[in-house]
Amino acid sequence: MERIQKILRGRFVLGALSIAVVLAAYQWITMQPDNNPALLPPIPNIIASFFTNIEAGSLQTTLGASLYRIFLGFFIGTTLAVIIGCLVGWYKTIEYLVDPLIEAIRPIPPLAYIPIIIIWFGIEEFSRVLLITIACFMVCVVNVIAGMKNVPQVYVDAASTMGASRFQVFRTVAVPAATPFIITGYRIALAAAWTTLVAAELIAAPSGLGYMLQEGRRYFLTDQVMMIIVIIGACAFIMDRTFRAIQKRLMVWSEARE
Amino acid sequence: MSEIKVNNLTHTFSKGTPEALTVLEDINLSFPSGSFTSIVGTSGCGKSTLLKMMAGLFDPTDGEMTLDGAVIRGTDRKRGMVFQQDAVFPWMTVAKNISYGPRIHGASKAEQQAAETKWIEAVGLKGFEDRWPRELSGGMRKRVDIGRVYANDPDVLLMDEPFGALDAQTKERLQSDLLETWRQTQKTVIFVTHDLEEAIFLSDQIVVMSARPGRIRHIEEVALPRPRSNEMRLTSEFLDIKRKLWNMLDH
Ligand SMILES: Nc1ncnc2c1ncn2[C@@H]1O[C@H](COP(=O)(O)OP(=O)(O)OP(=O)(O)O)[C@@H](O)[C@H]1O
Ligand SMILES: [Mg+2]
Repeated sequence: MERIQKILRGRFVLGALSIAVVLAAYQWITMQPDNNPALLPPIPNIIASFFTNIEAGSLQTTLGASLYRIFLGFFIGTTLAVIIGCLVGWYKTIEYLVDPLIEAIRPIPPLAYIPIIIIWFGIEEFSRVLLITIACFMVCVVNVIAGMKNVPQVYVDAASTMGASRFQVFRTVAVPAATPFIITGYRIALAAAWTTLVAAELIAAPSGLGYMLQEGRRYFLTDQVMMIIVIIGACAFIMDRTFRAIQKRLMVWSEARE
Repeated sequence: MSEIKVNNLTHTFSKGTPEALTVLEDINLSFPSGSFTSIVGTSGCGKSTLLKMMAGLFDPTDGEMTLDGAVIRGTDRKRGMVFQQDAVFPWMTVAKNISYGPRIHGASKAEQQAAETKWIEAVGLKGFEDRWPRELSGGMRKRVDIGRVYANDPDVLLMDEPFGALDAQTKERLQSDLLETWRQTQKTVIFVTHDLEEAIFLSDQIVVMSARPGRIRHIEEVALPRPRSNEMRLTSEFLDIKRKLWNMLDH
């Protein structure tokens, strides 16, 4: 017990240390006499920009708009991916019908849909959520299918010989056996959601983190740009950690450590 | 009643392709209702393949198998199987694994609980009810496998080297327990093993197979009286059978 605590502490300390070193190095560079703060804003300026935007209320609105898009797109995309992925991975007929379609669409980067989505639906909230949904769906569904296809045969055989129907095997064996893959699908989808969100907002949004980045570039507010980058990193990090915690809870039975 | 018959069975994997492999040829066997049969033979002679076909996991390329005269097609809870590999569901605790069969067949919570208590005790896993399979040793997991199949109460019990991974004492205890369960329930048991002593101790008849392709070399009727006791393992009748069978195996 003591040893584990020691390792955890060591790990936390080391992680914090590496971040501190990078920050210190950055700050040191910005303090050099020939540094142009408009290109490399010092850390205090970045922090100041954070508080200015909080006071103006613009950061909260922005973050709210972006998180709303992320959650909605992520939720719809992954839900569809799990439903369709399970069916495709388990039922041969559905696989033959749908899998070629997924395989054909999969290599297309979701951002390639931006022009056509704008043409069809305009620069609307719906378009942005749709884009995130597509991105989440595509990366997640592939994992779900892989999970269903990697269900060890002996578990399926064991359940069948105990008299489980095909659907019971699906529900009580295939889905739980595939959960490690499904959760990985969720995590990759979350990363995809962030990538797509920022890209979509850079191009076509009147609000959101991507919009604020764009605004920062236009008015040369480098400290704002840096601040938003840090915010995006922090949000994505917190969400991924939350997911890992959920994963750990759901996967107590698994041999894997993380 | 649960009599299994195997008629003119031949099985070829990947039939009609260059990789075609005939693993079983001209198998004719009869397993009377309530009998205990062991199958012995060298590794790769097709014992597991034969058992899986009896379980209904796939069909033979030629010939057929019947249960009480009806051709076996597909799996059924009447024909339970303990697999050679570890088949314990890692996402269920020991107790939930044991009561899996009753649960999918709509048993009430109380019935599931009763099955758990009874069979966890029977396979000697008391105190491990709420453990995850990853926390058990290989031999303990095997016992979960066995308990889970017992708890599902099949008429025919197909067991593929179930005691292979266990130490001598546990093995002897489970063998005696198996005989006791069998005596009480009159199940038809088909038991694959590499251990001749185990086969003789347990069985009414022993099927000796030869390899490549798997065929039946000999069927030994074991006339030793029942109930069997561990002392019998050292009697001359017992050892005579063992010597005879040993000479028959491919060495
Ligand atoms: N699904 C399969 N596809 C192709 N060949 C197979 C398949 N399953 C088994 N075989 C082959 O059939 C033969 C018999 O295999 P089987 O598992 O029935 O042997 P066994 O008698 O149970 O051996 P062991 O005592 O080692 O368990 C082997 O040569 C094996 O390679
Ligand atoms: Mg085998």
